[in-house]
Amino acid sequence: MLDYVLRRLVYTLITVFAVASILFVLFRMLPGEPTLQVISPAMDPAVQERMKEAFGLNQPVGLQYLIYLKNLVTLEWGRSFVSAQEVTDILSYRFWNTILLMAAGMCLTLVLGIGMGIIMAWKRNSPVDVGGTIVGLVFQAAPPFITGLLLLMVLSYRLGLFPTGGMYPPGARPDGLLDLLLMPEFWHRIVLPTLTVGMYYISTPMLIMRDSMLEVLGSDFIELARAKGLKPRVVMFRHAARNALLGVVTIAGIMVGFAVGGQVVVESLFSWPGMGQLMVESAASHDYPVAQGTFLMLAILVISLNFLTDILYSYLDPRIKITAKGMN
Amino acid sequence: MIKHKALGRRAFLQQSAAVGALAAAGSFAAGPARAAGKPVESMSILTANASFDPVRPEMGRLIARAAKGIGWDVKLAAEDYNMGIGKVFKEQDFDMFIVRWTGRANRIDPETFISMMHQKDGAYNKWGYDNPKINELAEAQQVEMVAEKRQALVKEAQQVIFDDTARSPIVYPSMTNAYREDRLDGLVPMLGEGIGSFWSDINVSVKKGDGYVRTGQTSALKNLNPVSATDSNEFKELRMIYDRLVQVAPDGSVKPWAAKSITIVDPTTVDIVLREGMKFHDGMPVTIEDVKFTFEYHKKWKAPFFINSLEKFESVEVTGANTLRIKLSAPHAPLMINFFCSIFLLPKHIWQDIPDKAKVDDVLNFANEKPVGSGPFKFDYWDRGKELKVSANPDHFSAPKCAGIIRITYGSHDAMAAAIEAGECDRTRYILKPALVQDLDKLPGVVGKGYPSHGFYDLSYNHRRGPLADRAFRMAMDLVIPRDVIRQVVMSGFAENGGSVIAPANKFWHNDAVASRRTNVKKAREILAAAGYTWDGDGKIHYPG
Repeated sequence: MLDYVLRRLVYTLITVFAVASILFVLFRMLPGEPTLQVISPAMDPAVQERMKEAFGLNQPVGLQYLIYLKNLVTLEWGRSFVSAQEVTDILSYRFWNTILLMAAGMCLTLVLGIGMGIIMAWKRNSPVDVGGTIVGLVFQAAPPFITGLLLLMVLSYRLGLFPTGGMYPPGARPDGLLDLLLMPEFWHRIVLPTLTVGMYYISTPMLIMRDSMLEVLGSDFIELARAKGLKPRVVMFRHAARNALLGVVTIAGIMVGFAVGGQVVVESLFSWPGMGQLMVESAASHDYPVAQGTFLMLAILVISLNFLTDILYSYLDPRIKITAKGMN
Repeated sequence: MIKHKALGRRAFLQQSAAVGALAAAGSFAAGPARAAGKPVESMSILTANASFDPVRPEMGRLIARAAKGIGWDVKLAAEDYNMGIGKVFKEQDFDMFIVRWTGRANRIDPETFISMMHQKDGAYNKWGYDNPKINELAEAQQVEMVAEKRQALVKEAQQVIFDDTARSPIVYPSMTNAYREDRLDGLVPMLGEGIGSFWSDINVSVKKGDGYVRTGQTSALKNLNPVSATDSNEFKELRMIYDRLVQVAPDGSVKPWAAKSITIVDPTTVDIVLREGMKFHDGMPVTIEDVKFTFEYHKKWKAPFFINSLEKFESVEVTGANTLRIKLSAPHAPLMINFFCSIFLLPKHIWQDIPDKAKVDDVLNFANEKPVGSGPFKFDYWDRGKELKVSANPDHFSAPKCAGIIRITYGSHDAMAAAIEAGECDRTRYILKPALVQDLDKLPGVVGKGYPSHGFYDLSYNHRRGPLADRAFRMAMDLVIPRDVIRQVVMSGFAENGGSVIAPANKFWHNDAVASRRTNVKKAREILAAAGYTWDGDGKIHYPG
């Protein structure tokens, strides 16, 4: 087991290194120059050089790459070309904003999605099953900028039930994460973005859970459980659902990874200063340190989640045995 | 002939165009002789894509379509804004280019729109415009320190630029702003800035609530370092925290601020008298030494926005308790607005240790997380990507009438408009989409309005290329631009038709004799025919000859 974990860890690190290198090359291949983003193109060429010098862009690319790798290992991810703030500071702030939004969205998605999936499978071909499938697919097909905008229009602009955006009321910045979480206004503001995220992602765990459940429900051990005279609820949750959960666990890891980086639209719509917005802003403004940092952080998150999902598998499914050679 | 064969078609035409341009000064050119009789090649209008600015591609499309009126095939190339900027300013690889010259305060001075854009070696002149008369006038206005004499030179330059159709200003867009009139009182619109102006910041009062003005903008604040800032977005916030020596007044004139006076003793000598009794937000007095330090520090670190002006500073000498004398290496008229109205006074006792004590190697990499200035507002906090909060400095000589300003970043124009509608945002700092302004104006308690600006949407011509080197051709193009349609449809009425490069709103410098050309395709064709252009059976335009 330990051998396997260590080997997977090494693979993970190699993948992170590869991603970091690709990111370095990729951003430098973008057309345009970073100095043009922060300074008028009409400025004297000497001034442009002055900016390059400050950013370290006057060094040969090879040397820039080596410095980049060194900084990667020492966790000194440099300073933003645009704001001069440390990338790690910017990332940690934006990352937690997105995590808060995603945690709420994913909790809603997984709890409701799994619950609905179980019920739909249990009541197969009933109106609940058909209705749930249709609603799930419609939500998935509707992009978040439509659902989000509709929610805003109806619940915020028309009925005035929720604020239009932001994380807290203007001028009332909380002192830290705990203070923010204790603010009723924060919970009031997170409702609409959470619903938007939830609606978009709910069909995935719901339909996977439904399919897995249907598969499990046809198994002999379920027949046996029923034959033993166990209550339907016990059969449904304790025997069937637990076994059907495996598929959802696999997809949940990947889904969370994508959700962290893929919420540009929701973040823009609800003026939520998160990672998605940061990615777009930094890539568009050629802010290499921040762009590399955000994408790398996301890559590390997805790779780590995959790694954890693999490890989690062995606990959830006793049939999977981990040996020195891998999973069997 | 052998040499001509070796040239590519484009290079051939470019060379021909250059010959044409030389012949053009003062009269309708005979056109590029070597392309004689051949069809005028198809060209493109480069501009930013709709996600950057929905207005530009629309304008481009309308102008491209209108060019068919003179039998010319023009295509629209709407690209990523930064790529377009790179093509124009770095590579100079473009035919025509639509850009918006925003009405920044420093552009009230004619230096940008006359010299930088039209002088042969002007920093913005990437379109190869070279007119000896303009070169002469541009240089003369730069060194003329008497305002009225300079005004006459600037007016003459406008006429020459217009007559030569060096470019085609399309429209002068208004600053489309919105605010809650049920919450705010005393907003002061300013030329090119609308109600987002500094004068609004210090004069606005709040009728109800905590006294803070919630100001919305769609682009995030990037930087609060007064030495490295180059962007007007940053300047708009920094000027609340840091004082300037003089300020641009709402009408575009110069008003004393931290300096009691700035006197041009002779064309190369400037005397500054500092206002007495000013204090930085940490309680330390503002002294003439701080002013001297500010100049020297910006020069030492080659502050990007100011270095060109500072290079003309030969010496800075303290001449009394509150006075200072600057000797310039050469007269430089734009100094007042471009430099004295822009540079922020730094506290020496803080900045003398930067970057050494800030653990950065270069002041441009200093984040200045807690700015301390002497301005009318004190820094409160900056929650990156979300909001900046500043509170009134009651000890300031021009103390604000509100409790403070909260600058909120909204994800989109729609989100900001919704926040204004819901009463969560009190006013816009910069522009809001014209259609949203129209909608907001219909709501009770909200005003949506356009305010005059000296900026303009511009169609620039690459004077090195093909027919664009020919004044007659450029004038014909100017005559086909459907300015009325663009103003009414694309700009929802929030604009004026373009003519001179100095907008009518910039009253002191604008030449009233230079008016917008009315769209007239017939006249355009007549001008082209007079210059020798012909049309084939398909209606396609051909070079003269």
